[in-house]
Parts: sequence; structure tokens; C-alpha cells
Amino acid sequence: MALGARLEISPRTSRRPDFVVITTLLALSAIGLTLIYSVTAPRLEALGLSRFEDVARQTVFVAGGLGVFALASLGSDRQWRLMTPYVYAATLLLLVLVLTPIGAERYGAQRWIPLGILDLQPSEFAKPALILALAALLSSSDEEHMSWTRIGQVVLLTAVPSVLIFQQPDLGTMLVFGFVAVAMLFVAGTSFRQIALLLLFGIIAIFIAFQLDILKDYQLARLTGFLNPASETSSTVNYNQLQSQIAVASGGISGTGLFEGTLTNLAFVPSQQTDFIFTAAAEQLGFVGAVVILGLFALMLWRLFVVAVVARDRFGQLVALGATAMLGFHIFVNVGMTLGLLPVTGLPLPLLSDGGSFYGTVALMLGVVHGIWLRRSRVPGDRHLL
Amino acid sequence: MTRGWRVVTLGVVFIAFFTVVVLRLWYLQVSTLASALETSYLQRIRVVTIEAPRGDIYDRDGLQLMAGTRATLGLVVDRKLVTEDREGQLINNLAALLGVPPSEIRAEFDEQGLGERFRLSDDIGEATGLFVLEHTEDFPGVTIEPVPVRVYPMGEVAAHVIGYVGAPAEDDLRRPEITIRDRVGRFGIEGEYDRLLRGTPGTIYYEVNARGEVLGIIEEEPPIAGASVMTTIDIELQRFLEDSLYDGISLARQDGEDVIRAAGVVLDPRDGSVLAMASVPAYDPSLLSDGTLTQEEWAGMSEKAVLNNFAIQGLYPPASAFKAVPYTLALENEIWPEVEQEEYRHLLDPNDPSSFYADGDLEFPETPPFHDWKVHGLVNINTAFQVSADNYFWGIALKIWYDEDQNLLQDWARAFGYGTETGIDLPYELAGIVPDRDWFAYHQFNNTGLVRAEGPWSGGDLMNVAIGQGAMVATPLQVANSYAAMANGGTLWRPRVVDSVRDAENQTIFSNPPSVIRTIDISDETVRNFLSDLHGVVANEGGTAHKAFEGFGDSFERVGGKTGTAQILVAIEEDEQDIDTAWFVGVAPLDDPQYVVAIVVDQGGSGGKIAAPVARAILQYVMGEDVDRIILGEDTD
Repeated sequence: MALGARLEISPRTSRRPDFVVITTLLALSAIGLTLIYSVTAPRLEALGLSRFEDVARQTVFVAGGLGVFALASLGSDRQWRLMTPYVYAATLLLLVLVLTPIGAERYGAQRWIPLGILDLQPSEFAKPALILALAALLSSSDEEHMSWTRIGQVVLLTAVPSVLIFQQPDLGTMLVFGFVAVAMLFVAGTSFRQIALLLLFGIIAIFIAFQLDILKDYQLARLTGFLNPASETSSTVNYNQLQSQIAVASGGISGTGLFEGTLTNLAFVPSQQTDFIFTAAAEQLGFVGAVVILGLFALMLWRLFVVAVVARDRFGQLVALGATAMLGFHIFVNVGMTLGLLPVTGLPLPLLSDGGSFYGTVALMLGVVHGIWLRRSRVPGDRHLL
Repeated sequence: MTRGWRVVTLGVVFIAFFTVVVLRLWYLQVSTLASALETSYLQRIRVVTIEAPRGDIYDRDGLQLMAGTRATLGLVVDRKLVTEDREGQLINNLAALLGVPPSEIRAEFDEQGLGERFRLSDDIGEATGLFVLEHTEDFPGVTIEPVPVRVYPMGEVAAHVIGYVGAPAEDDLRRPEITIRDRVGRFGIEGEYDRLLRGTPGTIYYEVNARGEVLGIIEEEPPIAGASVMTTIDIELQRFLEDSLYDGISLARQDGEDVIRAAGVVLDPRDGSVLAMASVPAYDPSLLSDGTLTQEEWAGMSEKAVLNNFAIQGLYPPASAFKAVPYTLALENEIWPEVEQEEYRHLLDPNDPSSFYADGDLEFPETPPFHDWKVHGLVNINTAFQVSADNYFWGIALKIWYDEDQNLLQDWARAFGYGTETGIDLPYELAGIVPDRDWFAYHQFNNTGLVRAEGPWSGGDLMNVAIGQGAMVATPLQVANSYAAMANGGTLWRPRVVDSVRDAENQTIFSNPPSVIRTIDISDETVRNFLSDLHGVVANEGGTAHKAFEGFGDSFERVGGKTGTAQILVAIEEDEQDIDTAWFVGVAPLDDPQYVVAIVVDQGGSGGKIAAPVARAILQYVMGEDVDRIILGEDTD
């Protein structure tokens, strides 16, 4: 306590790091690597490759991500704010590039820029860029009354990358953008009436998109298939989800044991080290393990809320809340998908899913928020003090 | 913080998110609600396809089974219904049951893949099947199912007509009802009539719980057996034809020939029905259908092309057997040879316009001189056919070349079915070639190697066509069918091996009645001449099959035929050599033709020497004579 008290007196020097965020970050990353190894090893071995092939690559990503987290923690919110226009512009450029022949197509979607050993997925980096841009825009607005002009600017900032991402296509990321934008608008002071009107516009826009046949067939199939599970039990999309639920159900309270998941290891569950990794967790670690993982996520989100409350200015507060909204939405939509609550949208589970770009994005986001924590105001909420 | 409540609201939303997710997890993993409701929501339906028994193939009387289906008990493993921890034990149990090492069964499991349903054993026997059914707890995921297995009770007999059943080829897989695991008819009737023979597979819908255990059967559609094919094959004649062809091969071998194979067909000239069709050496379709063929066996079969039916896929120059076409057209159009006759004018019969002196060779400008196989001396249209005088038919060709429509001969050949598939209901039939000026120009221009590089189509080429040589090729079936049309008075039938296809209730679901390709206008006089000259070939002193038909039997007056000796250029050890392929086409009985027999002994030697004795045996058989041992005939054309 004495040490803490002394540190509080000199706010400009760096404060104690947030051990809760760091601990949950490390714990979730470790669980992710273990599960990736568990579900990929048998298949890799069957293919005559090293059992560690996939997990080794992801370990490199995790190590790099932790470095990103540490570096991002050093940046102050004011520096981030100055960089925001450039970050946003650079992201738009990458999103355009991915649609050009430079971008690579995988699984029927053009989402990647191949960079030798790793593929860059610009739509992932667009997420922090959008959060920073919206925070910068909204922090300068009137807290008591949100003007329609400002709302229009928010919609525009969100819509431009959304349209580019829609071309890829990546429906999941668009939904993330929408949720983050609405959450940040709400926190920044938009009235319920305004939000309701905005959502109404959104629904009308989606309806028009349906009518004009802009939405892809497979996107329709996922959404309608989910709404009507009995109609086409044979369709792949529902098959995936059904298999996932069966795997989860077979986990029981204590799970089948690590590395022992029959259904996930037998490859009944698709994309199991990426989108469906929570299925492997629930099957192998059971209800107990699944709740522990969800608990770690909850703990992390709670710390992000705390950062939002103690941030020294409105920009930092909005960045922290945007990050919370993004992570929370990802977790809920991904886990909801594996449990058959929500349609398959292809959103990965933060920190656990196999994949470099998204891990890096989450680490960056956490790092930025952690940096805000390190420069928090002495009195919670008293952001004008310094 | 003035907007604190807004942050709290967002927090509440997230708490709600987490609560919903945890409740769902609890519902799926902990509560018994999920298992209680799984029949309604997590209920899985497992669809299992039951193979339909394939239809039978019968001979013309419907008495002899040529291809049938035997039901055996198959042991089927469904890996989706076996949990991983029990798989090791299951493999050990199966190994003990089937008496094979566990490693073999493990290998089969691995090859089939995870979650697959596959047949581990085809024929386990009733006792073993019963044992499994009584000990289901030791054999999780194992079911015993009746498995139809294709059987060919006659072995190699009629193999090429029947075909066989095998793994689907690429074009079979384009058919929607065929999957990679199915077996489909290949070649022969099995291939041609596969759609009717294969039946409709049945389906069983099992209800399966989340752990993959079978809860019961929801619906069951039994398979519909394939329809049965009634062929036109006379099975005893078929056997006899095959035996005789093998005898012909032995005969040629004794004679020092490097014979490759023999093919034959027996047609009913009254309706085009194929009574027998064979290509030897043949194969046993069961070996190909049960998948037990070894790599070496397959290589051996491929080398000898035994899968090919040379009765419809073998292209040979019809040689002198083709002379029946210029013979018929000469009689119909009164076209008689005139060339090089000045010095023999005094020898010719002034009352017979067809009279001709065959001095053994003939010259056509800018073409090397043609040499007949023998100096025949004075002949006419009838004796020229009987003694197979090339001279005479060259003369007809040149008469056409100078005085008639130059395509006259080819038009007659095509009318009798040469150069086009006969349209028999068997796959992979070849069309043969009737060379003419256009055909020649096309191949010369495109440098296909089938014709010489220099010089135009000439009278010499037409002379070659007239004796069935040069680029002219035909299948044994085409030659037989052309003779059938001449013998029956001008009706060219489409040959057929299947008469009808009948379902399980013996109702005809597909009928293949005789059908006429075309009728050719030939006079009764021509037909009479033709039949009598066929007899002359076997009966008259100079007839090319005279020796082969000595001692034929009482019905000798009612049989006849025509020899042919095709000279085919064959490359032997960097040396090109003319190798003779033997032909004989027989007709019986001549007063009411019911059988046309065409025999080819590939690289077997002279037609009169090798093919005629084989045909003689078959004609003896169909005329009810005592069949004596076949012996060499005379070395003729």
C-alpha cells in the first residue's frame, strides 16, 4: 500500500501495470495455444507433418502480439489521438489494396494480403482504426446533446470501411463495426430516440440490400438457415452448428479431457482451431472449463470498463469503451454461434482462435487501453484534473 | 463522470450476454433438459443406402442364367456409431471374428476414414452373421446387411456380350445416381443396359442421438431390384462358337502361324438377332466384378486386349469376303469387266456377257501391276466369285472407274452397312472405313498416315476397294450383317443382342424388337445366284473352301460361304511383313437362310485353310450334322 500511495502522488511517472489485464491476456493466450495443439495435432500427425506445425506458428503470433501489447502500452492517448487520422487513412488504403489483385482469395472471400509467411487481414486492423477514429470524433462533441450532424459523421466514418469490407465479403466484421459504432454513440450521449431512429434506418438499409440482392447467397443461407433449423438439416452451415452443439453437449460437466475430444478430434467440427475453438474447449474441458474461459473474458472486460471510468479524458474513455464493445461482441457472437444461439458469421474468438491478424489486433487494442490505464486520472472520473 | 449510467448500461448488456451464454452452456452440458429434448432438437437422422440387387441376364429361352445376383451377408461398420475409446476393442473383436490380423482391419479403418460407413467384409457366412447379431454389445457400430454380389455362372462364356460390373469411370460419375462407391456395368449388356439392370437403391432413415447411438428406424424404403434382360443368345451355339474359335486358333498354331485371337458372330438373317458372338481369348467377368483381380492378371489382360470385343471392335480388311458387294452390284447393274481382253477374245463365251479371261495380273497406269493370287483362266461372274478371282473384281472396278459413277461401289458398300456402326445394342462398336475420293483427299491433306503422301485417288485404289483391301476395314459383325442382307433378299437389319427387359413381375418394361436399317433393291435372280455361288465356293472343284468342306454331311447341299484372306502389313522386329488374317462367312440353310456365320482368325493364315474349317464346324452344328474334328483346309484366297 505504501508503494501504491507514493506512486499516486506522481501521476506523470508510469503507474503500476494492470496485472489483471496482463494475467487474463496471458492465461487466455495459453489456453488458446493448448487447444490449438489439441485439435490440430492428430490431423497433422495423420498428414505426416509435425504435431506442432500449427501451434508453433500461432506461438510466434502470440509472442509478436505480446510485444505489440507492450509497445502499445507505451503510447499515450494523446499520441494515439494525433495519429488517428493517419491510422484511419492507412487502413482504408489497405482495405482497397486487398480488393486489388494484390489481395488473396481464400475460402471464397478476398480478405487477405499475402506477405510471405503470414497473410495480413486488413479488415481486422480496421477495427482498432475505426474505434480510434470514432473516439476522436465523438470526444469533441457536446456531451449533453448529440447533434444529427455528428451522428451523420459517425455513420459516414463507419460506412466507408464497411462498404470496402462488404466487397470482400466479410459480413461478420460489418456487424462488429455496426455494434461498436452504436455502442460508442450511446456512451457519447446519443439519446435513445436517436439510437432507435438510427437502428430503424439500419433495418431499412438491410431490407433494401436484401431486395436488391446485394447480400451474397451464402450469407442469406447462413441467416435463414439459422432461423429455420429444421428445414435443411443437411445444409453444411447448419450441419457445422449442429455438430458443434453435439460436441459441446458431449463435454458434460468436466469434459472429455484435454486432447481427448472425440468429436472435435474426429474432425466432425469444422474450423475447430479458428471459429469453432470454443467447441473444442467446451467438449474437452466441459462446463467447468468453458465457464473458466468465459470468466477470464468477463474479468478482462470488467477491467476495460474500469479503464473507461478512470480514463483522464473523453477520448481515452471512448477508446476503452469501443475496445470493450468490440471484444464483448466478438466473444458473445462467437460463443453464441458455437452453442447454436446465433448464426454462423465467421467471427473468431479473441485471443483463443488460431490466426495472426486478429490476435495482433486484440493485443494492440488491449495495449492501447492499457496505455490509457497507465495514464489514468488520480480520481476516478476526474478527467479534467491533469 | 456525468455519463456513468451509460457505461453501466453497456456493462449490463454485457452481463446479459454472458448470462445467456452460460445458461446455454449449462443447458447443453449439465442439465438433463438437453438430452430430454435432443430427440426434438438435437435429433440426428442417419441415412443408410441399401444396394439394390442387379437384374439377371438370360439366354433367348430364358432358361440359362448368364449373369445373376447372389445375396451374401456383408459386415458393415459405421464409424460414426463407434466412440473412439471403443474402436480399439471393436477392431480386436472383428479380427478374432474374421480371422485376420487386427493391423489389417486397422488399416482398412484408416483407409476409409473417420466417420465413414463401409463394408468390411462381403461374404461372412450365416453363422458369423448370426454371432454378430447375438453379440451386438461387442460390435458397436456393426450391422449385418444382405449384400448383392454379381455372379456369372458360365465363366468366360459370352463374356463380351455380357460385359462386367466394375468401379465407375469418369463419365459414369456424371450420372446423378452414381457415386464413387457404386459399381456400374462396364462393357457389353452390363454397360449398355446399366440403367435398367441396376435397380433403385433403398434407404433406411435411422434416428440417432447426440452420441451417435441408433434410437430406431424412422422410415424404410426397400430397394427395388433391377430388371432382367432377355437376350437373343442361343447359349449352346454360343458355347460351340467359342470352342470352335479356340480350335481355330490351335489349328493355325499347328500350321505355324503366330495367331493372336479369333472372333466370330452368328446372326439370324431373318431379323438381325445375334445368336452367338465371341471374341477369344476372353475373360471371366467375375474376376473383374468381385475386385479380386491382381495387378499382374490385369496387365496380362490389357496386353492381349481381352476386354475388347473384336466381333464389333476388331477392324480388319474384309478382303475377298467383301467381293459379295461388287458381285451383287455387277449382277444388278450388268457391269462386266472388259480390260485386257483383246488377246483372249476368242476364248470368251459369246453367250455370256460376264465371261472373262483372268490371266493373273492387271495393270493400271502409274500404279504397280496387280498380281492375282492365282491364274484362274476363263471365268464368269459366278465362277469368279467361287474361285475368288481378284482379276475379275479389279475388272469390275475399272469398268466402274471409266464408265460409271465412281462412287458406285462405295455407295453399294455403304448400303450394305459398311463404314457405319450397325447400331447393335452393345457399347464401343466401331464403324470401319469405306475409302473413296473424298476420304482419300481428306487424309492426304491432313497427313494422317492412312494414305500415301503423293498422287491422287486412282483406279488402282478403287481396285483395292473391290477386293476389300487397301484402307478398307470392317468388323466381323458388319460383314456378317451384309451377308445377312444379301441372303434375305435385301433387308439390312439392325443387329440386336437384347430382346426385352422385364421387371420382377415379368412385365416387359423395355422392348427391343427387330428393326430394319434399310431395304436394298436387289432382284430375286441376284439372290438366287448369290446363294448358289456360296454353295459353289464349298462344293465346286475350284471353290476356295472346297477342301475344307469335304465330308460335310447330308445337308451339304444346303450350306455355303465365302472365304477371305486379308493381307495386313504388320511391323515385326523393325521389319514390315504381310500377315494373313483368315475370314469365312457362311450361310445356312441356303434354301431358307437362318444362320449367317462370320469368322475371323486374326493373323491365322489363309481363309480357306483356317477360317473355313471353323465355320464348317459351326454350320455342321446348326444343320444338325455330326461335328467332326476340324482339320486344315486348302491354302486359298
